[in-house]
Amino acid sequence: MSEIKTLEIPKWGLSMEEGTIAQWLIQAGEQFSKGQEICEIETTKIVNVLEAPFDSTLRKIIANNGDTLVVGGIIAICADAQVSDAEIDAFAQSLAGAPIVNESKAVEVVTEKLTATQPETKTQAVPKQNRTEQVSKAVAQNGYVIPAALQGYQHVEDIFATPHALKLAEKHQVNLALVSGSGREGRISVQDIQTAVQAAGGSWPDIRQQPSGKVAKSKADDSQVLATPVARRLAKQWGINLHDCRASGSRGRICKEDVEAVYQRENPAPTQNSADVTLTEAAKVTTIAMNGMRKAIASRLQTAKRNAPHFRLTVNLNVDAIQGLRQQINATVPQVKLSINDMLIKAAAAALIKVPQVNVQFDEENQQILQFDQADISVAVAIENGLITPIIKAANTKSLAQISNDMRDLATRAKTGKLAPDEFQGGSFSISNLGMLGVQQFDAIINPPQGAILALGAAEKRAIVENESIVIRQMVTATLSCDHRVIDGALGAQFLAAFKQFVENPALILV
Amino acid sequence: MSDTQFDLIVIGAGPGGYVAAIRAAQLGLKTAIVEEQHLGGICLNWGCIPTKALLSGAALAQQFKHSQQFGFSLGAIDFDIQQLVRHSRQVSEQLVQGIGQLLKKNQVTVFNASAQFIAKERLELTDAKGQKQQISAPHIIVATGARAANLAHVPVDGQHVWSYKEALVPEQLPKSLLVIGSGAIGSEFASLYQDLGCQVTLVDIAKQILPSEDIEVAKYVQKQFEQHGMTVLTEAAVQNIEIDKGQVHCHVETATGVQTITVEKVLSAIGVQPNTQNLGLETLGIEFEHGFIKVDPWCKTNVVGVYAIGDVAGAPCLAHKASHEAILCVEKIAGLTHVHALDRSQIPGCIFTHPQVASIGLSEQKAKAAGFTINVGKFPLQANGKALALGETTGFVKTIFNQETGELLGAHMVGHEVTEHIQGFAIAKYLEATDESLAQVIFPHPTLSEAMHESVLSAMQRAIHI
Repeated sequence: MSEIKTLEIPKWGLSMEEGTIAQWLIQAGEQFSKGQEICEIETTKIVNVLEAPFDSTLRKIIANNGDTLVVGGIIAICADAQVSDAEIDAFAQSLAGAPIVNESKAVEVVTEKLTATQPETKTQAVPKQNRTEQVSKAVAQNGYVIPAALQGYQHVEDIFATPHALKLAEKHQVNLALVSGSGREGRISVQDIQTAVQAAGGSWPDIRQQPSGKVAKSKADDSQVLATPVARRLAKQWGINLHDCRASGSRGRICKEDVEAVYQRENPAPTQNSADVTLTEAAKVTTIAMNGMRKAIASRLQTAKRNAPHFRLTVNLNVDAIQGLRQQINATVPQVKLSINDMLIKAAAAALIKVPQVNVQFDEENQQILQFDQADISVAVAIENGLITPIIKAANTKSLAQISNDMRDLATRAKTGKLAPDEFQGGSFSISNLGMLGVQQFDAIINPPQGAILALGAAEKRAIVENESIVIRQMVTATLSCDHRVIDGALGAQFLAAFKQFVENPALILV
Repeated sequence: MSDTQFDLIVIGAGPGGYVAAIRAAQLGLKTAIVEEQHLGGICLNWGCIPTKALLSGAALAQQFKHSQQFGFSLGAIDFDIQQLVRHSRQVSEQLVQGIGQLLKKNQVTVFNASAQFIAKERLELTDAKGQKQQISAPHIIVATGARAANLAHVPVDGQHVWSYKEALVPEQLPKSLLVIGSGAIGSEFASLYQDLGCQVTLVDIAKQILPSEDIEVAKYVQKQFEQHGMTVLTEAAVQNIEIDKGQVHCHVETATGVQTITVEKVLSAIGVQPNTQNLGLETLGIEFEHGFIKVDPWCKTNVVGVYAIGDVAGAPCLAHKASHEAILCVEKIAGLTHVHALDRSQIPGCIFTHPQVASIGLSEQKAKAAGFTINVGKFPLQANGKALALGETTGFVKTIFNQETGELLGAHMVGHEVTEHIQGFAIAKYLEATDESLAQVIFPHPTLSEAMHESVLSAMQRAIHI
């Protein structure tokens, strides 16, 4: 049992709660090595590939294409070939909520069964010619020789055997009442039938030897192996290492046929049906992906709004100076085109370093606050049918040009769906800017587990009072939403004061 | 998002621009395309496509000429060039409509206007009525193409001196035509008009016609042109022209002195120049190279958010090069992995003269100059069964292999429909096929393509039918 391992839904980032099997990339019975792509799992935001965390063989798939499981949910059982199917089935049943019996009881049952079968075993120990006679009456089929004494399959409800053992017993007409089970609660495995048949002088092909017909798979890097483009692609698709293919093509290259030969050797009867099923499933996944993001936004923001006691603080920022600097940079440096948002991100990053108590995530489960020493700022980007928050990592250490060009690239890839999970999951603070849509001021909902979010409005000319006279200034209204469980009012105000200072004195963010 | 803010804007709707816009929209970007004139650009409206429609008329004229070989006596044949021009225009219109539908289907916003950068990421559009509007995007692709270059001393007047545009829509067939420039455009028109029954003189300042082609190909085509009755003058320059009573007197300087050639029309086809003017590129500080916009392997300019593809971004000025750059530029912007930069040795060139010319990779001269030890294979269509049956025995297939690696370095073809066949060598080159692997390929019989196979075998000293 110790060799049985499980594959589980991994946790790809703090916000991930469940995953849906988009597609299995290997089939039950296939060996795999650590790092090999096992299946595609869809989260609320992306589809990612699960890589094998260890070397083993995929024995039983628990979660099929389209099934949704919580993080940590077991999707498959893996074990080396030595572990019998019976044991895998038993393990699977125990996962499925079968009562776990204590060890001593199991032993008891086994003992009982053994006693019960004793007389039958004795029957086998009859004088030699008699035994031969019995064996000669045995039913022989494909290497299975069932002694007469064991013949006669009967379907009995209370016989406790693995499905595989039951099936084989029915096929080869073995009387399971005469076989003692060695599994939990005396469950009969295929191994047990084999032992009983062999003990009775019959023959039962050794199931352990079956996998030996398979050639061990190479794991070495095969990128340098000579192969035609088609062969290379097929091999990748089927998880075949090119080292395992013979090169029959011209100039010693592996061609399509060689890869197909290996595939056929490894998959003697590829079923047409399974391919059809995969196709239908794939179409289904696309639909779920659309709903997934909507669902994620709904559930996450609902949770945030319900659980996090929001309070909001608003300041008006004079952006004349920052706009002047922006225009000067844009007019003189061809390689950069700063938006006001790029500059406000930089100012927020500087403020987060100055007031690090706002640069936090709330670990609700363990009732602790995680305070970060670099500002990973999630920036809300509207995309078709939703929004995503790519992260400008360590924004405090980046130049304005870097932030601007990162933002351009992240926003574009957000729209084409080409962001990697670590590019939008996490973050220590969020910024949402609706200024380009003409919004003057708004409140944003905190992006959990972060502690605060800054909502920025449009830069616009306003009449304000300065030194007892009315002047025209370009202003932006910024509203900070804080989770009162981790950030208090005064702290939020302190952050906004720092932010305002950086925005209105942009020289400070250049040094 | 407002309807003036996009993720990506393309300026110019030629084979570079519209392909870029469709690909960007496919990848989920909110995309706009700005076109001053017609969707499809020069290619669909005034270039590749309408010339092919005219050339099919010329090909028919040639078939009529040889109809007796196949047992037909046609007698006198009427030819209405205006009907042929109408056919050509219809084909263009049909394709242009198709582009409009494709853009619509992919939800690309189309602006019929000229565009000018007024800042980074921001364009000012001016429509035909002079109405202005601004649109912006973080990524703007310049795909404005190129236009005909002109000789100062042979100004195009549209009446006596034509550019390609007038040559595409003649009111009547001129009796005589002098074509300046023997590149793809000049040679195609020279061949077309000659076949339709016009007396053509083709003049080029270079040592050979079709200056970008292998010299053996160029000499062969020149000989064919001359057999069709064309006068070909190489190392010759038109010094000046005089227009008198509907006739153009061209003074042409040749190795043997100055000749005066009198023709009805002159076609100026000396080459193209990029459309970089009036786009506001200078205000952004865009860098240029030989007049073209300077780009990196991903078609990025030195200015953030500005990209250039196709003719405006440098030679070769070919539609398929523009389309290819469009895809790689957009896919790179969209963050797709496995995007490959353009490999210029993989761009095939096609010239639709009679006979046709198609090539890819290095010419024999360039392969030698690059220091390769080469094997050259050659096979004439005269020895190809299908060519004989068709009565199209003009031409040959020439292949150049690296002797050491067996790599296909270049392929050059002259003859009937070779432009349809060159893709075979393009695929072979892309897949880095060798002489041996091409020799293993089974070519169908009876086809003209067997000549490609035989040429490869010839390079290996094992051609069967010669």
